[in-house]
Amino acid sequence: MIPTSAITNMQSRKFKEVEHYQSPSRDYFLLPFKFHRISVEKEVIVNEVGDFLVVPTGTTTRIVAGEINSGSVSDQELYADLIANFFISESALPDLIEVLATRYRTKKSFLDYFTSLHIFVMSLRCEHTCHYCQVSRVTSDKNKYDMSRLHIEAGIRLMMKSPNPHVTMEFQGGEALLAFENIVYAVEKAKIEAEKYEKKITYVVCTNLALLTDEMLLYFHENKMLISTSLDGPSFIHNKNRHKPNASSHQLAVEGIKRCREILGSEHVSALVTTTTLSLEYPEEIVDEYVALAFRNIFLRPISPYGFATRNKDRNKYEAEKFLEFYKKALGRIIQYNMDGYFIREDYASIILKKLLTPFPVGYVDLQSPAGLVNNVIVFNYDGAVYASDEARMLAEMNDFTFKLGTLGENTYEEIFYGNKVAALSEVMTNESLPGCSECAFQAYCGVDPVFNHATQGDLIGHRPTSSFCQRNMEIIRYLIALMDKDKKIEKIFRSWITGKS
Amino acid sequence: METHQNDDVLNVTIDAEIYPEVVLLKCLYWYTNNFEVEIGKLNNLQYKITLKALHQTETLDWDNIVLKLKQDLIDFKLRQFITNETQTIRELIIAKAFAYYDHEKDPISEISDPVGFSPQSIKV
Repeated sequence: MIPTSAITNMQSRKFKEVEHYQSPSRDYFLLPFKFHRISVEKEVIVNEVGDFLVVPTGTTTRIVAGEINSGSVSDQELYADLIANFFISESALPDLIEVLATRYRTKKSFLDYFTSLHIFVMSLRCEHTCHYCQVSRVTSDKNKYDMSRLHIEAGIRLMMKSPNPHVTMEFQGGEALLAFENIVYAVEKAKIEAEKYEKKITYVVCTNLALLTDEMLLYFHENKMLISTSLDGPSFIHNKNRHKPNASSHQLAVEGIKRCREILGSEHVSALVTTTTLSLEYPEEIVDEYVALAFRNIFLRPISPYGFATRNKDRNKYEAEKFLEFYKKALGRIIQYNMDGYFIREDYASIILKKLLTPFPVGYVDLQSPAGLVNNVIVFNYDGAVYASDEARMLAEMNDFTFKLGTLGENTYEEIFYGNKVAALSEVMTNESLPGCSECAFQAYCGVDPVFNHATQGDLIGHRPTSSFCQRNMEIIRYLIALMDKDKKIEKIFRSWITGKS
Repeated sequence: METHQNDDVLNVTIDAEIYPEVVLLKCLYWYTNNFEVEIGKLNNLQYKITLKALHQTETLDWDNIVLKLKQDLIDFKLRQFITNETQTIRELIIAKAFAYYDHEKDPISEISDPVGFSPQSIKV
């Protein structure tokens, strides 16, 4: 029986008897932890720093009721696990509380250096007419839709003010290569400034590769730049998703990937899958395409609910369940390839697995608390507007400027990064304090996205019971834990994804 | 716990001593995707909960919904118990995690000693 006195007597400020402060008929004290049922037979308990144990259903009740007996043969191992993993303590103040505090600090260490990813939207122009694209324009009007050099310089000045010694400068579009001469200008300018401010810069170009030339490849090689491209699967999916007038987008992407690998090296080229309604029907085929092209990783992302994608309801709006069904099938295929000896990892799972299986944080904007916007990423749009995240600038294309933080060349670093808007946003940027999330066992592995909440539900806090972000992440995390618990071979594969060693 | 249902409405009477308001709020929050939820006090000892289906469906499986509600109430009471009992240690962990991070800096300005109380000036 669980004593209720601790809850019901909370309102009283009278001095209480000594017995009140003693652990109720237990030989141990509770440490903060949460639990979640992962199946009929099992539940997972997760401590304050994200360590987890999968235990039989009812174990949490037994722990709280003081029924775990260190002297009992059947409980000995569980008792030792609970002590070793900071779920319970034999003293009111655990001897290793400093270790626990350091572990907590490590989990939040992604906050130490503030913004790293600086996205420069070099042009809104594009030669593709993808049906789900949120932002692009098919136009030759450079003056209207390309980032001006004044804005490029102002963006670099802000980037140099970041406390982070390692920053990433990512060039996006539209199609970024349409403004290649401005990319060169930006890189050369940033190199000079980086030397002055003693910063290391990683350069990333996001491109569909259709316009790739040898001159560009040479420049990327000379500057050790990374290429991030899109590959949505086999040609019948990719070309349907990414329509390019009078050409095969798939063929251009595949040829571009090969050329990039030859000149830059495989490790400098990555590809992302954008999942659409069509993609949902072909999880295995998409994985097979990545394997056929010798990729060692695949990133299965759901389509974002922003911009033009939101308006195109018939083609793009699909239920979270359908995505989860797709994801599980694709993950099954990926696991099978690994079982058969071909190493390929799924990146979204790898991000969660790193949080589950290591003490370290992951710098992935969508799964962080406090949220990744501003803390990790900032976006400089083609017109000089500064946004809190990439999704925030897509909302702006729908005339929603909620997350516009300022303008390049007009606002100071302090006004943009520490202004009233960011201060107001920070109130809703921690899942530890959000309704629904505050009691969630998966809090340490998940994140918070006020932009998503605002875009899909009309308020920054969001409503978890109807949130597809919550539904998707809770199920993926539960599924990954259940898979590892069910099959140790799968756990070994998952561990190889985060260590890179098979 | 007493339950009574008709068509699309479920009424539940709950002992306030066993399930305090905070547990009811946290638990029933998760029912707001499918139900209009009302929490009221019958008297000092009992709460009255009403769940009204938001969407008209042909058959509402009330037996399963009641079963799930009972299970969820127990789970959320358990969570609340852990939260209450571990609140102080949790705050201590978080405070310690960030307390040692501040770098101590030497004061930039010179310290004046207008009345001659500087520790350095005291001869031992």
